[in-house]
Amino acid sequence: MLRNDAYRWGAVAKFFHWTIALLILGNGVFGLLMDLASTPMQKVNWLALHKSIGLTVLALFVLRLLWRLGNRPPRELPAPRWQLLAARAVHGLLYVLVAALPLSGWWFNSVRGYPLQFFKLFNLPAIAAKNPDLRRLSHEVHEYLFWFLLLVLLAHVGAALKHHVFDRDDVLRRMWPFARLRHGPKGDSA
Amino acid sequence: MTPTATMRLALLLCLALPGVAAATAYHVQQDESTLGFTATFQGAAFQGSFSRWHADIRFDPARLANSKFDVTVDTTSAATGDADRDGALPGADFFNATKYPQAHYLTTGFTRLDGSRAIAHGNLTLRGVSHPLNLTVTFTPQPDGTALMDVTGTLKRLDYGVGGGEYADTSVIGDNVTIQAHLVLSTK
Repeated sequence: MLRNDAYRWGAVAKFFHWTIALLILGNGVFGLLMDLASTPMQKVNWLALHKSIGLTVLALFVLRLLWRLGNRPPRELPAPRWQLLAARAVHGLLYVLVAALPLSGWWFNSVRGYPLQFFKLFNLPAIAAKNPDLRRLSHEVHEYLFWFLLLVLLAHVGAALKHHVFDRDDVLRRMWPFARLRHGPKGDSA
Repeated sequence: MTPTATMRLALLLCLALPGVAAATAYHVQQDESTLGFTATFQGAAFQGSFSRWHADIRFDPARLANSKFDVTVDTTSAATGDADRDGALPGADFFNATKYPQAHYLTTGFTRLDGSRAIAHGNLTLRGVSHPLNLTVTFTPQPDGTALMDVTGTLKRLDYGVGGGEYADTSVIGDNVTIQAHLVLSTK
């Protein structure tokens, strides 16, 4: 099923969740390894790829948000109130960070005065004026946002595993691709 | 031959060979003149300009056969508004300014386009490589006797080996580079 139902996330939501997760993690690690480039031109090419992947994440995020607005999430499984609140907070924060990482990179790129090209196909405008005074700050904001994302992700993944391993419920299974639910209705999985 | 006859002959020669008369030699007002280029990096154009160059300009749209450009450019003097780029440009991969501190353009002839425009034919020597380069010249005489000259032309940087090796990737650094000069000329 493409759409969410009351018990599980639909294929589209799963696609957005896992694709964005892989891209943002991979791209974050890639970004941290930029200085390993052996030549200036290799670094230019790596950075261009890093930026293109980041823009892909941003585009997927916008689509994901639109999809979510038109598609009610599955019902929350019973849990103590503080856990429900914590889960909502972590999810909200992750949404913010998934958008903030590429946007901060775009800002960093803009104040640095670099062109922004999407996979050598077309160029995007700067979102801020070139400003040498902000180079360091924007770089640090971009990088520390990724460390912060990892921290929040630790809570997210930790909670999902806790539900899966200790609570033996469907919190992880209903987002896991092609997984069957333990307690939900039988039927097609996607 | 009588003096009058000599003068008549001289006058006749002048009329018959108008091209022999030299075109006006100009002095370039360096402070008001610019010499630069437009290149592309990752799909975006960027401008560069040279701060040290010298141009000997003799030009007259009516006496193109005797017009001549002789331009020397200090390849260490390029500025593009980006410290990384400006640091790389004089290096061995680009202008190789240590070995080739100067670029040189010398015309070999002109072709008239219309009353104010002409094509300059010539050779550009850059990074030790010479290639023919045509430039479009727009000449605008001013009422006060000075003149404005705008020159533009396009070269392929790889013809001259500018940005060779891994920098030869034209999907990152475009091959075409447009030259632009704006000269404010006064008669010598």
